[in-house]
Amino acid sequence: MNLEIWLGLFSGIAFGFVIQRVGATDANKMAKAHLMLEGDIPRFMIMAVVLSAAGLFGLQATGIDNTSILPTSLVATGLAAVLFGVGWGFCGYCPGTTWAAVGEGRMDAVFALFGGLAGTALFAHFHEILIPLLYGPTNVGKITLGDWLGGKVPGLAALIVLFSLCIWGIGRLWGRKQHG
Amino acid sequence: MTAEKEKTTYWKWLPASFALAGIIVFVFTTFGPPASSSGYVSTLKGAIQHLAPEYVGEREHYRMMPDSGSWLFAFVLGMAIGGFVAGRTSSAQVSDVPQLWRRRFGESKAKRYLATFIGGFLILFASRLAGGCTLGLFISGSTQLAVSGLYFGVLIFVFAMLSARVVYGNPDKEET
Repeated sequence: MNLEIWLGLFSGIAFGFVIQRVGATDANKMAKAHLMLEGDIPRFMIMAVVLSAAGLFGLQATGIDNTSILPTSLVATGLAAVLFGVGWGFCGYCPGTTWAAVGEGRMDAVFALFGGLAGTALFAHFHEILIPLLYGPTNVGKITLGDWLGGKVPGLAALIVLFSLCIWGIGRLWGRKQHG
Repeated sequence: MTAEKEKTTYWKWLPASFALAGIIVFVFTTFGPPASSSGYVSTLKGAIQHLAPEYVGEREHYRMMPDSGSWLFAFVLGMAIGGFVAGRTSSAQVSDVPQLWRRRFGESKAKRYLATFIGGFLILFASRLAGGCTLGLFISGSTQLAVSGLYFGVLIFVFAMLSARVVYGNPDKEET
């Protein structure tokens, strides 16, 4: 086995361990997050992005740049996000947390995994029809906040301010009903 | 509702976010943007290519992804192992039917399994259309300041909140 596979396995184990420990593999906790009863998981996710973005900025300064940005397709990315959101709110699992929840021994996650494989297979079968139809026409390219704001530093600053506001807002608005 | 008040031993969100960000930066150093929905494609490709090699060769979605002998599959497999180790070493209760779900739809495991199958189907179909999921598009994308990740991230949170409202009803009313 080559090094890349060991790195993937190691990264996955660490990732799965942390998301279980914070409760992201618990569909009940995820439902509480979506119902605004508990703000821990969304704040955890958003804060992880803020720290990762700062870390990636530092990493790129050392010359290591393995970035790869996905394009924005107004229709495909937007429609996919709507479908994804509906499914996420419905079952309480994401593609990644599903694997960790399966490992944890949650049987409902095993069925989410089967459903996920079926959904992937269906999309893969119709890729040639759906991508030109939904993705291509409104694809506005691999744009970043840096492109909009004239540089990576203002882009990163905007992300940190925006996401910090989200974390603050979630802290204020989530969980009020349970205690009040 | 004594069960609900049970003490969980989950980590606090702030230190946990440092741990996750450390792993994400490690992945960016040693591989590239972390992703998990792509791992589903690699899983299927690895399984199908032995049975129907022509089919896999014909389909762009399988051609563009590596098979199961890849970082992407090792990562999702690792997540299951990580979840297993974390689950065995913690006191968190694992149930096949979450409590809020039970309160609304009853004890039926079949009903819950059908629901998670449909949910899993939707999130993966959608992720493959967008090119990524919560990790591969929202987290990885936003970390790279990508507009696609932010656009996807805002909408998935909004629609998950709306969907949960419909599925679980108004939680205030249930409490009284």
